[in-house]
Formats: sequence, C-alpha cells, structure tokens
Amino acid sequence: MRCGMGIEARQVNELFINIDPIQAGGRLTADAMKAVIAYGDGYSVCDNCRKPNRLDYISKPPIAEFHRDVAAWLNMDSVRTVPGARRGFQAVANTYIKKGDPVLLTSLSHYTEFLAIEETGGIAREIPHDPAHKITADATAMKIEEVMREFGRVPVLAFIDHVDYQYGNMHDVKAIAKVAHQYDIPVLYNGAYTVGILPVDGTDLGVDFVVGSGHKSMAAPAPSGVLAATKERSAEVFRTTTIEGDVTKRKFGIKEPEMMGCTLMGATLIGMMASFPHVKERVKHFDRELENNRMVLEALLSVSGTKILSEYPRNHTLTRVDTIASFDSVAESHKKRGFYFSGALEEKGIVGVIPGATKVWKFNTYGATTKQAAFLADAFVTIATDNGLILNK
Amino acid sequence: MTFQALYTLTDLRVILRETAPNHMLDETQRAQALRLLDNLERQVASLKQEMLK
Repeated sequence: MRCGMGIEARQVNELFINIDPIQAGGRLTADAMKAVIAYGDGYSVCDNCRKPNRLDYISKPPIAEFHRDVAAWLNMDSVRTVPGARRGFQAVANTYIKKGDPVLLTSLSHYTEFLAIEETGGIAREIPHDPAHKITADATAMKIEEVMREFGRVPVLAFIDHVDYQYGNMHDVKAIAKVAHQYDIPVLYNGAYTVGILPVDGTDLGVDFVVGSGHKSMAAPAPSGVLAATKERSAEVFRTTTIEGDVTKRKFGIKEPEMMGCTLMGATLIGMMASFPHVKERVKHFDRELENNRMVLEALLSVSGTKILSEYPRNHTLTRVDTIASFDSVAESHKKRGFYFSGALEEKGIVGVIPGATKVWKFNTYGATTKQAAFLADAFVTIATDNGLILNK
Repeated sequence: MTFQALYTLTDLRVILRETAPNHMLDETQRAQALRLLDNLERQVASLKQEMLK
C-alpha cells in the first residue's frame, strides 16, 4: 500500500515488535497521531498568532500553556521547543562558545554535541569514562584541571549526557554539575534518552540547561525537542533580537536569534503537545519498563556466552549486549552468516536489531507491553536453542 | 465526521501496535475493537449520507 508516489505506507510498529534503540520512545501516542492528521498543513498552528507574534505566545492551540507546563514539569524557568535536541545544543553552543574556547563533553557524548562545538570554533575536550563506562564527578574534576593546564582557563561550557547512547548507562549528572559549578562552568544536561522517559528535575540536578528530544523520547514526530533554562541563563540564550535594517529601519520585535524566530510550526509541535499529558504520566511508571527489560535480559543471559555490556542491573531500557560467544558463534557456519539472527527475529515478528549484527548490538524494550516483552524473551531463547546454543542451567 | 472516522481508525491502529506481532486480542481488547468497528460503521454511514445528499 502506498501513501504517495514511491512511498510505501510504513507499518513497522503495527506488524512487528520494534526494538530499535533510537525509535522506542518516539512512537506516537494515539492523540499525537490524531493531532498530526488535523495539523499536517505547514503553518497550521499559526492561525491565531497575534502580537507579539511569537510561537510561544500563541494561546489557541494552547502553545503558550504547553511551554509553561513543560518548564514546570522539568522544574526549570523557561522552555522553547526546538527542531531536535541537536538544535538545543546548537543554540547554547552559539551563545557561550567563541573560537578557540575549550568545551567539556564526555567520551560517550553524542556526535551532535561535537558538531555544535565545531560550528562555533570551540575545542572539544572529553571527560574519559571509567572501566564500567561511567562518567564520574572525579573524572570531571581531573579533566577540568587538565584543561586549565592546557588552556590557562576553564572550559566555557559542559555537555553532560544523563543516559548515553552507547551503553544506555546512567551518569551522576548531579555530582558532575556540582563539580562544574565549582569552576563556574555552565552545564547543559542532555536528556535525549531521559526527558519523556523517566522523571527529570533540572533544579534538583543543578543544571543550567535541560535538552530533550521529542522524536527520541517524547512520543513526538521528528524533528522536535525542548530546550529549558534557568532564569539566569534564559536571559542569555533566549535573548531577543536587536538588529535593524539600514534602509528600511525594520526591527523584529521579540524574535530570538538562537531560535531563528519561531521553531516548530505545525505537525511536530502539535504532536509533541498532544502526547505530553501521556508522557507526563508514563515517566511515573518507568519501573514497569525496567521490569520488562529485565525479563528480556534474563532470557538473553540464559543463553550461554551472552554478556551485558551496559551497567547491570539496568537503570535504562537501552541496552548493549555482547553475543560473540553465543549468537555470533552460529554465524560462523550459518549459510546466511550473521544475517541469520536478524532474519530469525524478523520471521518471529521482531525488528530493530541491525541486520547482520551478531557480535555487539543494542536494543531498547521501552514501550513494549509485558506480553510483548515475554514474547521477545521467548524468541531469543527459541532462536538460541533452534541453532544449537546451550542454555545456562 | 471525516475526523471522527479517521480517529476511530487511529484507535484501531493503536490496538494493532499493542498486540503486534500476532495480534491475539484479549477479552478487553476484543471488546474495545468491536466497539470501535461499530462506531466506524456508523461514522462511515453518516459520512456517506452527508457527502452524497
């Protein structure tokens, strides 16, 4: 079935259990799907835009209220919607980093944080992770001291991921932010895998900025996200335009340069708004998600040779596993090589594992029902036994 | 009425997502699906009447 010339209707989430590590938290709620149907046209949320003509002031649909609610929910002073977390990183980077400035991030940071720094001419310096793939406050202090020796000054900004994309490990942002603030370094909390998944309190964490991803973790269409700031930092990153045309003498009101005026003007914003009440509720039940994840991991660990590379027990549902001594050992002699594994999963109605991957791979059980988690667990064990792998007693 | 029918279909779509891949509906889901399908039939009938009058 096609929904346009050459465009197949996508039915991945209707036909399969999808454990793709980056797709799990971005699946739309029913309300978001309905809102997108009604607000698909380009400037659909702008019908009632009145002076001062800025997205976050529109009251119908209740965009202004949504901004206030998200700020309160994150316990921050103000929020803007952005076209993806990366645009939040970019806005903050553009505000604080000048050419040649050292900037702190981590050895597990997402590439878009590097690109945000690169665009400003800043110099990236990574806090190394420990042997357990965790970023610690001690390592942060050591890296800041190292940067001071190298540059003669402290980093101008720190990007810290609460849960990293590589291992899904949870890092002690509160302790890291405390150290960074002792050196007067503002901290950007990257909540791409947490905002909309589990409770996030920016004030309690002691961070200057909270960035979330709508399409990764807030059940919203792409590209969408949020950038929240403290009152002090809001005045800097959300400063208003001062430019004036020399011929026309035009000025541009209260538009914000870092937001390029208005940001999400249609289906992306309305989708995020429609999902928001459900997202607020679901973060309260993250323990259920961890329980489903545990069920699947126990099944994987029952296959002899399988290792969990992420921290264990898990604090997040995004998990990295090593199956070199289990599923990969079958690939060596299988006629389909490594593709037998993803093929067998797909035959059972499971997608999201990179085709051909049998050595080290990631998956995310977020959003699966308990029945679906049990189905996943059984599928992994069945594929193992079907291929002659040994189960631990 | 167009939106109502589309939204009913959306609710059915969500049931498909929640029961993938085998779509074995439990009693509650069966009752919900039946109610939605009944609504959809009524909504399509109304739509037919409104659009072709």
